[in-house]
Amino acid sequence: MSNSDAVPPAATQRSAVNTILVRRLLHRGFIAAGGALLITALGTDYVYFKTALWQWANFSAWLITTGLIVLLVGVLLLLIDFATRRAARLDVVSFIVVAAAGLLSLLNAFVHSRDAWTSVVPQGISLSALSTVLLLIAAARGWSLAKSRASGDRT
Amino acid sequence: MKAASFRAIVTMISFAAVLTACGERGGDPARQYGADPYLPDPHQYLLPPMSVPEEVGWKAGETPSVPAGLKVEALATGLEHPRFLYTLPNGDILVVESNSPGTEAFRPKDFIAGKVKARAGAAGKGGNRITLLRETTGDGQPGLRTVFIDHLHSPYGIALVGDTLYVANTDAVLAFQYTPGATHIESPGVKLADLPAGPIDHHWTKALTVSPDGSKLYVGVGSNSNITENGMAVEEGRAAIYEIDRSTGAKRTFATGTRNPTGLAFDPQTGQLFAVVNERDEIGPDLVPDYLTSVQQGGFYGWPYSYWGNHVDVRVQPERPDLVARAIKPDYGLSSHVAPLSLLFSEGQHLSPEFAHGVFVSEHGSWDRSPLNGYQVIFVPFVNGRPAGKPLPVVTGFLGADNETVRGRPVGLALDRAGALLVADDAGNAVWRVSGPQSGT
Repeated sequence: MSNSDAVPPAATQRSAVNTILVRRLLHRGFIAAGGALLITALGTDYVYFKTALWQWANFSAWLITTGLIVLLVGVLLLLIDFATRRAARLDVVSFIVVAAAGLLSLLNAFVHSRDAWTSVVPQGISLSALSTVLLLIAAARGWSLAKSRASGDRT
Repeated sequence: MKAASFRAIVTMISFAAVLTACGERGGDPARQYGADPYLPDPHQYLLPPMSVPEEVGWKAGETPSVPAGLKVEALATGLEHPRFLYTLPNGDILVVESNSPGTEAFRPKDFIAGKVKARAGAAGKGGNRITLLRETTGDGQPGLRTVFIDHLHSPYGIALVGDTLYVANTDAVLAFQYTPGATHIESPGVKLADLPAGPIDHHWTKALTVSPDGSKLYVGVGSNSNITENGMAVEEGRAAIYEIDRSTGAKRTFATGTRNPTGLAFDPQTGQLFAVVNERDEIGPDLVPDYLTSVQQGGFYGWPYSYWGNHVDVRVQPERPDLVARAIKPDYGLSSHVAPLSLLFSEGQHLSPEFAHGVFVSEHGSWDRSPLNGYQVIFVPFVNGRPAGKPLPVVTGFLGADNETVRGRPVGLALDRAGALLVADDAGNAVWRVSGPQSGT
């Protein structure tokens, strides 16, 4: 902080970096956060399956509902990423994987609105497991549903 | 790329629309009347099968309909969610104005279900009081209307034994000293016995009646959920009919497995206790029939493990085959989701010879069945002390002409001193009086 003579070159460098990095994809973090909630529901479904203790089924219902809402925000931000030219093109594989997980989870939200055992076993926990596999694939692919224009420019 | 995302969203929305459209319609309720109702296979749904008519209330001059030869008129209007009716020996009529103490939403579904049910008038504010109506002019209309007991806690059943008036709040039976002719009771009641209530208090009404010899009280306690989705711990002591000793306040369960026993009455001819019970939801528009049954001491009527005898409900885990094996089949199906809330023995042909011996049953009406079912007062004839034959509609027209709007919903039933049938209407906030040639004007 005391050697102020180092500031001007650093500031110049940072603003140069910002022109690239500030254009980061807005949707990615929300897809990750929503996906994490949906994956957690497999855990709470499993505990309900083992114990039949009602509160775990309620946790699942809330995790799936909030996970879907956060995922939906991510999809809206994906549109904004394209509208604001942050995103260059769709990552088709990641998009299909996350869309499939989202649709299965929507179905799962309805299954989890049933009362007691059949809200989880057997269809609910099966849907949670399928979504989890898909979401882990999306995680391995970096949660992003599009290629960013910035990175595209650099290649 | 935008188009692809847009298409994905459209796909998700249409997918949801398909899910909402997959509800199945209920069949003819007449298949489920009587001792051997038609029972289809249970289904599991993706969407809670809700079908709630909008509440529109009664326009000026509108009344429910009654059969030819009978007359219906409003006895009182502008009440606060009237639920239960009781006629005192001097002819005064007590109207219990009450509603649920309020329940927490545990799941995303509970928020939605609460909003939908509110459309049908289920969310009306309860008065938490008892209003007294007294005829003073001889025209059958109450010239006097006073607040009889105020500041109650979601009261439902009431019964007078000697000079003691018992009021079943949702959490306790209270005893009040009653002086004949009184129009108001100021003194707080004395607690006779606690009743299972919060937390949750899903089925909050506590039906109350007295044994023919006046020594015991019987209280109906509903389950704390539809089908144990709030856990087994909160079902301790619920879905049961209690017997309370009037002199000591000691209570015991008289019968169990009755999901929501909303109405209790003794047959004045045989001294046998009868109940109407609201059965479980969300396994089909024609499952499970609500029922009228004689109540056997120590009897188990299935909830939650099974319905109509030994039909196992797979939603309940762990299973209890030992209990299912001894589950009693109810006497008489009323058809599914009609929500019977009150039963009343006719005690002779006050209205018409057709209604000489049997019970009137008020059907509050379905909220999860299409087409709608209930929304009427029926008469179930009795032969040799048992319900027999087809039910007869007595008071109808609670739905609008389109069958999709609610003008009123019948709850409490009582006979006034002249033998006219009184019907509390908690959506129309009224009490209706149905009279025949022999029950005065």
